[in-house]
Amino acid sequence: MSNVKFFRYLAYSLEILVLFVLGSTPSLFPEIFGATACILVALALTIAVFESEVPAMFFGVACGVLTDLGFSNSIGLFTISLTIVCFILGFCANNFITANFLNVMIMSVITITALLSLHFLFEIVIKGYDNAGVYFVNHYISRIVQTIVCTAILYFVNKFVYETLE
Amino acid sequence: MKDFLKSNSVKIFLSTVFVVVLLSVFTNSLQANILSSTVNSVTYPLSKVTAAATGDEKMSHAELLAEYKKLKEENAQLRTDLVNYYDTLTENTRLWKFYDLKKEHPQYTIIPSVVLRRDSNDEFYSCTLDKGTTSDISVGDPVVSENGLVGWVNEVDLNTCKVVTILSPQTSVGAIDNKTQNTGIITGSTLYCDDNLTTFTKLSAKHKVKEGDIITSTGISGLYPKGLIIGEVTDICYDTYNSSHYAVVKPYDDIRKIKDLAIITDYTGQGEVLIKNNSGTKNE
Repeated sequence: MSNVKFFRYLAYSLEILVLFVLGSTPSLFPEIFGATACILVALALTIAVFESEVPAMFFGVACGVLTDLGFSNSIGLFTISLTIVCFILGFCANNFITANFLNVMIMSVITITALLSLHFLFEIVIKGYDNAGVYFVNHYISRIVQTIVCTAILYFVNKFVYETLE
Repeated sequence: MKDFLKSNSVKIFLSTVFVVVLLSVFTNSLQANILSSTVNSVTYPLSKVTAAATGDEKMSHAELLAEYKKLKEENAQLRTDLVNYYDTLTENTRLWKFYDLKKEHPQYTIIPSVVLRRDSNDEFYSCTLDKGTTSDISVGDPVVSENGLVGWVNEVDLNTCKVVTILSPQTSVGAIDNKTQNTGIITGSTLYCDDNLTTFTKLSAKHKVKEGDIITSTGISGLYPKGLIIGEVTDICYDTYNSSHYAVVKPYDDIRKIKDLAIITDYTGQGEVLIKNNSGTKNE
């Protein structure tokens, strides 16, 4: 592995660690409509579109583990889904599509909506809580939108990191 | 495409997915695992710094004015209550002497703690505290603030523990209306949790619960100490689905934003009758 690549991966790793801690700090980010963004999901997706499939997958695993551990003491949905999604995104971005802003946003809208809807299904619907639909409208739509906005911001951050350390 | 499917990348991908699924099964079957302990240990110092750096939320001039007016009214009410209190105290003292009644005060062992993290995935405002098994914290310990019950410890590792609040439907606390002696179950609701409200359910058809009544824990099962204040009734509603009444209860703290908490690790009567199911729900 070249030095430049090593420093790029180090930059991504630091980014993951810092955003994990900042994202889970109480009262740091305001809640909008009862939710805050899943920053690490957005980060994993924006790293994946610039890297080849294997590194993209490992950064997806890291973000997924931290997202799951922030929620409970076990790993699960986010780890498994981000592992698969980041591998596919990394492969597609290298072979089929160009990693430009429009394509990344289209991919992130689809992926984030699917991931968070799955999370809603497993954490709210299957557990049988009442008024699940109301909860989806009050919390999850806002979370999906915020995460997509974060993806847009992190796209430019990671594009800068990638182009600087290419 | 055929070449790709036979490539090393796909082999690495499949191996990683297999390991991740195995890890998922492994971590789900243990209360505290090495993975979460490691991550928490690595991020603990940084989390401690960022948690300390974020101060209490700033209030606007209008909010401060509204709070000032509210406090002034409460102060006037408290002065009136104080006069009533002294009358009651005199009467109470007389009754105490008359009946020679002994009052038991449970001795709590309290571990003060600070909210370390509130994750964006928190569905019902659960949080991570900066105390773990090294401070004798165990799963099921009640978590309180200076104003009453806040929740219970759901998961614990070496340095941290996760708290499920009374805003969560996962929580079930046996509770009593101190005024009317009506009993019920305090459990969170997806409808009310965003407004820092919980519900007092399973009320009998002839209940006399009214707005303003104070709800406390019954302590019957030994999972929560008896007499912990939970909140104040703000509304009585009818659940058409269950054909029963329930009261909406407002805790005295804003559980969504609270930062300073304490964990009760030991108290008189703890664990006398312990009913715990395996699903992680704490029932009293």
